[in-house]
Amino acid sequence: MKTQKDFGSYGLRALVVGVLILISQPLIYLVLRASEKSGTDVIALLTRQKTLEVLGLTLALLCIVVAINVFLGTAIAAGLHYVRIPYPRLMFVSTILPLAIPSYVFTYTWIALIPSLQGLWAAAFILVLSTMPYMLLAVSISFARIDSGLIEVARSLGLSKFAVFTRVILPQVRRSISAGALLSGLYVLSDFGAVSLLNVETLTVSIQNLFKSSYDRSAASVIGLLLFLAAAIFVSLESVLKGRDYESRGAEGFQQRIRRVSNLPLSILTTSVLALYSLLAVALPFYVLISRYLQNPSAVEFSDLATAALSTISVAAMGAFIAFVLSLPLAFLATQGASAFASVTEKVTLMAHALPGVVVGLALVSFGSRLGPLYQSVFLLAFAYAVLFLAKSVASSSAALNLVSPQLKEVAATLGKSKSSVTLHVVFPIALPNLALGVLLVFLTAMKELPATLMLRPTGMDTLATEIWSFAAISRFNEAAPYALLLVLIAAIPTFILTIPRTAQKESAQKETEKKVSYL
Amino acid sequence: MTSLSVSHLTVNFGSRTVISDLSFELRQGEIASLLGPSGCGKTTLLRAIAGLIQPTSGAIRFGSQLVGVSSVVLPPHKRGTGYVPQQGALFPHLSVAKNIAFGLDKNKYTKSEITDITREMIGLIGMKGMEERLPSQLSGGQQTRVALARALAIKPKLILLDEPFSALDAVLRDELRTEVVGLLRELGSTAILVTHDREEALVSSDRVILMRDGKVAQNGTPEEVYEAPISPEIAASTGDVLILPAQQSGSGATLYPLSLEGGANAGSETGYVVIRPEEIRVSTSADMGVEGSLIHIDYYGHDAMLTVSVAQSATPIKARVAGPADFTVGQKVYLQHLGPVRYFSRQ
Repeated sequence: MKTQKDFGSYGLRALVVGVLILISQPLIYLVLRASEKSGTDVIALLTRQKTLEVLGLTLALLCIVVAINVFLGTAIAAGLHYVRIPYPRLMFVSTILPLAIPSYVFTYTWIALIPSLQGLWAAAFILVLSTMPYMLLAVSISFARIDSGLIEVARSLGLSKFAVFTRVILPQVRRSISAGALLSGLYVLSDFGAVSLLNVETLTVSIQNLFKSSYDRSAASVIGLLLFLAAAIFVSLESVLKGRDYESRGAEGFQQRIRRVSNLPLSILTTSVLALYSLLAVALPFYVLISRYLQNPSAVEFSDLATAALSTISVAAMGAFIAFVLSLPLAFLATQGASAFASVTEKVTLMAHALPGVVVGLALVSFGSRLGPLYQSVFLLAFAYAVLFLAKSVASSSAALNLVSPQLKEVAATLGKSKSSVTLHVVFPIALPNLALGVLLVFLTAMKELPATLMLRPTGMDTLATEIWSFAAISRFNEAAPYALLLVLIAAIPTFILTIPRTAQKESAQKETEKKVSYL
Repeated sequence: MTSLSVSHLTVNFGSRTVISDLSFELRQGEIASLLGPSGCGKTTLLRAIAGLIQPTSGAIRFGSQLVGVSSVVLPPHKRGTGYVPQQGALFPHLSVAKNIAFGLDKNKYTKSEITDITREMIGLIGMKGMEERLPSQLSGGQQTRVALARALAIKPKLILLDEPFSALDAVLRDELRTEVVGLLRELGSTAILVTHDREEALVSSDRVILMRDGKVAQNGTPEEVYEAPISPEIAASTGDVLILPAQQSGSGATLYPLSLEGGANAGSETGYVVIRPEEIRVSTSADMGVEGSLIHIDYYGHDAMLTVSVAQSATPIKARVAGPADFTVGQKVYLQHLGPVRYFSRQ
């Protein structure tokens, strides 16, 4: 068994190394490209007033958005969970729905409403609206996992409701708050659409400008690396701050008994905040999109719309699929428990997560003709999506695979199944719904991707994102509206699935736990 | 015929020795219980036999076939052991019938044979009509039955049961245990049952292997380990005991608080006598035994445990009497030790 097992894991390691080499290509190329500049040039470029201003603005935006998300997001999620509010389920879904609306669509609907909107605070406002769902999702899931028995015990030990929240609940959701901060922060660092429309020159905009105006790709590469570095520092900062990992042994079966606080002023406050958020992040954008569309329903040919939708779906699906395939070896490695190799792999994958779309786009476009027929093909764009969203894919795949208890694999082995047969007949069938959910999540994200799509799409190919972008950039809101509506509607489907079956999924996890408890 | 032989088995997890130089054998059709406190290595031993973990040294043989040594090991899927883990571990995505048929190799059996075996197993565990249910739709007892049927379906050389009944409530546990043991006997299966329930071990097996700190402390029939424990500590692990100081006199007589010759002389105790509470007869007539005063009654229904203080012993004596018992606290009673005198000298 020893030899067989080691052999299997060597094969897996080889695959993992292969994937890592593949996904690090853009970064390696970027470094090569940047190193074409002399050291003094690089220093001059990095220390000039303009660069420092751009960097400062980017970091300021990052801090504002993350800080608001951490405080407001945690408070909203707590309200959703622990305060008596009307229609809590509907409230939850409507706060997650903005996930379907890309930041550039948000921005354009708001500019259509208030044409003078621009600057740092406008960008912060828009980015808080569009990243809040990441925070809410992350924190809500972990609120849902807290054993209400703990809360009852704490109450019986004499803690007030407020003390229970700060001393029992908050420490347990700390890691999720941190994860939500990471997700929303990376979103801010890599956002291109919103800041560009609002005339806020952050690093992403700067890179795009350098790339477009001067075709000085070495300079763009240097700034690209600066952006990557900022993101990488942010990622590692998060992994230091999130604190120790521990398994909450709470039985989810107790969840049903969570008692919401019924305090009228608190309920009214919570409900109004939630309603205001839904109004700003869901109702208003939809209102603008629909009214703009109705103003001139025939502004766009149906066939153009259909073509763009089809290209969007096909290239995003291809990207999600590639990301899924590439994620499997890494996910399998992650399920095999802690090892130095696995932790290095995890870090590298996280670094890939810190690569903004504009950087990956720049790197791949700089490969240029060396890529042969791949250049200017949808495959290159799909590959860019795969690199961009690999970390997402690995996280969801390994979570799905981890749901399969090791005991089941052992029982299958004693019943005469080889390792590969166990994987095929036990691990995959059980993990399949969650694996599929992961692919869907990546697909959704890829559809909305803008900067890499702008740089890498084959000549003549328009996606919904690029069409919205081109019309919105020249203030032709009526023409942008149908594309945006369609994109948001398509993207809303997976978002719905993400929120609603989240409960179904929880129930099955809950059943699983109950079953385990009944077995113990 | 020897069905399983484990010789000089040692399992280390890192620097920790979980099983240390452990040996025992099982005959064909024998049901053995592994009894011991949690953390003594019972489950590890079971998993090593199933091939799920790698022994550090020693050998495991099924009949004459060597299946496990430290270097070359037959992988678990080629061992043909029926493993029923602690939580049953039914495949959540498969129906009852498909769970049971899971281990039946399609290259070895035809489709109709698989159907037949599955039907037979479902009949054996009394779950006709539930073939298409999913594990989540079954009660705890039903899940255990299906896990057992799944293990039996592959006609294993050896059945390994890892505390399969521990999740069930007392009444269901007794019923299911009787049922399962009956089934294993009917099929002539060789089986190992891991348990920390001493009564379960005694009532369901031909052989009780008492484990302590990764070693076999005693190995024998249930009667042997209960009646003739090798140490006071082992005696305590198979049932209630009284451990009383004793003195072996030059004439060979053993003096202890309940002996006819009276207790040991103060300061000259040389060891202990181990007595089971049910070996003490309690009577209210003064004609026989040691006089004492009844100080407490634990009433269990079918029997009662009496606590009696006697002048000869610093520790009160516990005696079990069959119910209904008509004793009252404060009463004068007379104790007589009827069973064997198990003397253990002080080390």
